Amino acid sequence: MNFDIIELFCIAMFFIAFFGLITSKSMIKSVVFMSLMEMAVIMFFLSIGFRSGLFAPIGVNMNPDYVADPLPQALMITAIIIGLSVTAVTLTMLMTLFRKHNTTDWEIVKKKSAE
Amino acid sequence: MIYAMLVFWILTALLIVKERRAIRIILYFGAFSFITAICFFLLGSPDVAMAEAAISTFATIFFVICVEKYTNLQIDEAEKASDRQEDKKPLTYHLKKFLPPLGFTVFLCALFIHFLPDNTVNTFLKDQYVERFAFDVGGENAVTAIYLGYRVYDTLFEALILVITVVAVSHMSWFDKTSVADGRRSDIQRSGMAVFTIRIIAPILLLFGVYLIMNGHISPGGGFQGGVAIASFFICRYMIYNIYDISIDKIIRAEKAVFVVAALIAVAAIFLGVWARVPAAYLDLYQGTYLLIMNALIGVKVACTFIVLFYRFVAIERL
Repeated sequence: MNFDIIELFCIAMFFIAFFGLITSKSMIKSVVFMSLMEMAVIMFFLSIGFRSGLFAPIGVNMNPDYVADPLPQALMITAIIIGLSVTAVTLTMLMTLFRKHNTTDWEIVKKKSAE
Repeated sequence: MIYAMLVFWILTALLIVKERRAIRIILYFGAFSFITAICFFLLGSPDVAMAEAAISTFATIFFVICVEKYTNLQIDEAEKASDRQEDKKPLTYHLKKFLPPLGFTVFLCALFIHFLPDNTVNTFLKDQYVERFAFDVGGENAVTAIYLGYRVYDTLFEALILVITVVAVSHMSWFDKTSVADGRRSDIQRSGMAVFTIRIIAPILLLFGVYLIMNGHISPGGGFQGGVAIASFFICRYMIYNIYDISIDKIIRAEKAVFVVAALIAVAAIFLGVWARVPAAYLDLYQGTYLLIMNALIGVKVACTFIVLFYRFVAIERL
């Protein structure tokens, strides 16, 4: 197995956020951790095939050996915009749930909706 | 440089895991987004860094509106209630509580690393895109060439998902109407100094957004980043006049119309083969016009979506 250090950082970040997501009691923290997981995935995609000394893929007559990969960048721009949409929708659901149960605690909401 | 930034990145995430005060979680989240944008820039992708920097301001505003209205600013109520019960319990109780999720996470992480493929990347597609994009699609920015030329389907479906977001935010909210009562004054307290500063910044922000869209195909930037900059101009406008006078229904209608026009242009230009029939002498002009128009349409589309989201959050969810 041959790893890049940046990829290991991204995997560590993803699982820190995952741990926070499954242990947090507050809903707002859960939404924040979802954003964190998404950032880790985006950083992982950008770091594929990256080594230090590569330039941004902007200019004319570029040599592919000295330029960062443009394909994941083009896909990740759309992923970032969709990430904000996901945050907005989850926050709207959170507010509706707060109006219904008057709390942001997962445990209390679970108990109330079971009744 | 990038490794130092990544260490700070992990540290900020650990701070968020540990923190219990809701307002501090959001401040750390802002710092996290800023460090992420710097890391993206160091990874050789200024377009993504710009998008991330612009998006993080919107995410922070949404979180602040949500937290300010719905939780206690000092300590998150959920965490506070559980603290009172659990402070008296012994250490073994805490271990029993945190070991299973930790073990599960570590197990998943080990599984993931074990099945991760090697770092040998096939660069055939990269070589082809970097060498041929100026001839195939035009412009000088390979990223713009990919998302408006080679992979324009992805961009169209992303725009469709933005329409679905607006529908979902309207549908899932507790407030059953789409639009806000027009012309109502808001009840947010304003500071005179902030308004004075925003009055100076706002026109520069609008100019910057238009510049990003117009130069998207020859420099870092493009429709997405420029659209978000234009949407933040409307945040400034709201801060200055302090009034809800924009009809959300009209913006949603304009957004749908812009999406249909963008889809028609992309289909006509690329999938119906107008591209191939343009004479070689006019190809540069044609390519430049296509990239400019598509960037402008996508910019207007993204700006409309985020104006709708911001006004809904600030006007309805604060009620």
